[in-house]
Amino acid sequence: MIDYAIKKSAQLFITVFGVVTLVFFTLRLIPGDAASAMAGDTISGEALDLMREQMGLNEPLMSQYFGYLRDLVMLDLGQTITTRLPIAEMIGNAIPVTLSIALLTILLTVVISIPLGTVAAYMAHKGRTRLDNLLTGFAMLVDLMPSFWTALVFLLLFSLTLGWFPASGMVTLDDPAMFLSRIALPVLVLSVTQIATMARITRTSVLEILSEDYVRTARAMGWSEFRVLFRHALKNAALPIATVIGLSFGNLLNGTVIVEFIFTIPGIGNLLINGINSRDYQLVQTLIVFYALLFVSINFITDLVYRALDPRVSF
Amino acid sequence: MFTMNRRQFAGLMAAGLALPKTALAQSDGSKTLTVRFYDDPAGFDPANIFRIENENIAFNIFSGLTSYDGQTGEIIPDLATSWETPDNKTWTFRLREGVQFQKGFGEMTSEDVIYSYNRILDEATASPYRSTLASIVTMEAPDPYTVVIELDAPNGGFLHTVANYHQGQIVSRRAIEEAGDQVRWQPVGTGPYYLDMIDVTSRIVLKRHEGYFRGAAPIETIVFNIIKDEATSTIALRNGEVDLVMRANREENLTTLRAEGFTMNSVMDYAVALKVLNPEFEPFADVRVRQAIFHAIDYEAITGAISPSLSQATNSILLPWMPVYSENIPTYPYDPDRARALLAEAGYSGGFSFRHLGTSAQGVTELQQFEIDFLSQVGLDMQMELVDTPTFNQRRNAGEFQMATRLLPAVDPDLILFSYLHPDNTVPGGLNGARYNNPRVTELLHAARAAVDPTERMALYEEIQQIVMTELPYVPSYANNVFWPGKSTVTGVHINYLAQVNFYDVDMTVA
Repeated sequence: MIDYAIKKSAQLFITVFGVVTLVFFTLRLIPGDAASAMAGDTISGEALDLMREQMGLNEPLMSQYFGYLRDLVMLDLGQTITTRLPIAEMIGNAIPVTLSIALLTILLTVVISIPLGTVAAYMAHKGRTRLDNLLTGFAMLVDLMPSFWTALVFLLLFSLTLGWFPASGMVTLDDPAMFLSRIALPVLVLSVTQIATMARITRTSVLEILSEDYVRTARAMGWSEFRVLFRHALKNAALPIATVIGLSFGNLLNGTVIVEFIFTIPGIGNLLINGINSRDYQLVQTLIVFYALLFVSINFITDLVYRALDPRVSF
Repeated sequence: MFTMNRRQFAGLMAAGLALPKTALAQSDGSKTLTVRFYDDPAGFDPANIFRIENENIAFNIFSGLTSYDGQTGEIIPDLATSWETPDNKTWTFRLREGVQFQKGFGEMTSEDVIYSYNRILDEATASPYRSTLASIVTMEAPDPYTVVIELDAPNGGFLHTVANYHQGQIVSRRAIEEAGDQVRWQPVGTGPYYLDMIDVTSRIVLKRHEGYFRGAAPIETIVFNIIKDEATSTIALRNGEVDLVMRANREENLTTLRAEGFTMNSVMDYAVALKVLNPEFEPFADVRVRQAIFHAIDYEAITGAISPSLSQATNSILLPWMPVYSENIPTYPYDPDRARALLAEAGYSGGFSFRHLGTSAQGVTELQQFEIDFLSQVGLDMQMELVDTPTFNQRRNAGEFQMATRLLPAVDPDLILFSYLHPDNTVPGGLNGARYNNPRVTELLHAARAAVDPTERMALYEEIQQIVMTELPYVPSYANNVFWPGKSTVTGVHINYLAQVNFYDVDMTVA
């Protein structure tokens, strides 16, 4: 286990270093920089150059690169180029918001989709296909709905017509009530797609298990259908489901970017969009390193969950 | 993350069900106005401020020697009570006495004015607005309430330079020095509102400056709520979450809000979009071809079809509300026969094909689709050349296009005329993408800027407009409008020609 942890850490280090380097240079290949993004196109070249000097964009590329590496090692994330705000604080404020959305979405998804998928599989197994067909149809439909569209429809329905959730307002943990009512719609929008996917996967996995010998054995031992389904079938179907949850966490982090924009949620997706639009290299490269760390950690956690779920898995 | 007990959870469920409405009047009777803000703020330091939404905050925090009337767009006194100039070159400003900076930074005097301008001029500040003040030769403060400024050449538009905008906004030396590199987040001015609190990802709170020299504003607190998405902001207004929407720019949202009885605060003819024709592309070097293009496109029909609220056809490079605008200019009504005849005269009876530079982000806009169609009817084949936005900006600035579009918002007509028509501003150094160089016009531009007598001045500007609208280096396509829809209980929302609202004029009544 310790060997495993050391090996993993070394891999993590190499991965992150690769990401840092790649991001640093590719970002600077994109036409335009912070000065031109900020000043637009109506100021003179001379004034633009003064701004670049001020922002440190005129320094040699390699000296910028090594300076950045040094700061990273010292855990000094620095300030944004254009607005002179402390990046560590900005990301620190944004992480709980995005993570809350992602975790609540997964929670809601698991709570709804796993029983739904299991029951659908059971029905299908018994030859009663109505719920099964309904589920498959629903899954196909929501897969085709882009999240920016779902977001607007939900806004119209839940915010304007029903008045359940506000469309705007502060999102801060200091005010948990407001916090939850503001992230409720993003969570719902993201959950819809996730639920469809996850329920389908659960259905397939459970259905496969249901025709296994040991399920028949369990039935033969006189255990209730409920116990057979949820204790034996579902537990053995858990491995692929865990994989999908791990993967969907990554998808969710992508999905939050659009949803955070529409609902003006101050999460990391919003920060990233802003950073890219304003060509704030410092902010974007730091965020991408953060994303890389997050993805690597999710994979690591998924690995650990595998081991817990299935003792046969070893590394 | 955070934990809560059962009672908190119950309260939270209740709060989730009851939609929070903005309080029009709080229990103590004070008023709070909630305004939609459309992007993350980028700071409010006059020396390096950008984008209209940030400028609108600064416009309410700071003052200039002059300002703009919200309704007429005319220059009005602000920190200066009066001014005089014998020759448009030496300007003497008399300052208002007893003006107080916000947050206890003391009285504003002529020293602060000089400090503010010197700060912009200082290369270390790296202000993009430095060049606007570069014509200042000397600045003197004979007493605390007088400033004498001498320019290197006469400039009748100097009152625009010292207006409450960018380089013209007066700062406090002590406040600037105390803020260090955080000036943009700690602005201190003499305007009607001061910055009370800011959360760069969600809101900006302004409180009224009780010691404002015109007396305290009617509304105590203004909360700017960041809502980026247009559709979301429309819902927030309909929901009562905001009282006023800063810059709604989707036709369909305006239609919805108008139908529901919201007040459609607006300013018409905010800026004009011009087609820039590069004469290095041979057909565009012929004046008859340029005139034919204007005759060939029915902009009235196009704007009426795609965005009747947000834009309308226009016939000049200047805007009708500008004091020097002249109606006495050649016009080019929609007339395809005339267009064909002009093209034939120029030797292009068979038409020709040309490329219009655009961004892949916008694609071929509805407007351009119509233009392509209208032009094809007189034998012209307009093809869109779509590139990514930074490349577009770079090529447009360098003048590497056959045709492009440009929109330059300005209150000062000289800014538009000099930028587009003066040979010193020819691309790639400036905005003169038409490479326009008419010695007579250049001479007139300088003469008009120097003229002190209003009649003479007007005559000079009129001649410039007549020449330019005859030679047509730029084809005006449409003028656009700015909307701030709001509740009917919110009054006094006058959007000026910088697309800004002076919140000192705004008030609200409890419905």
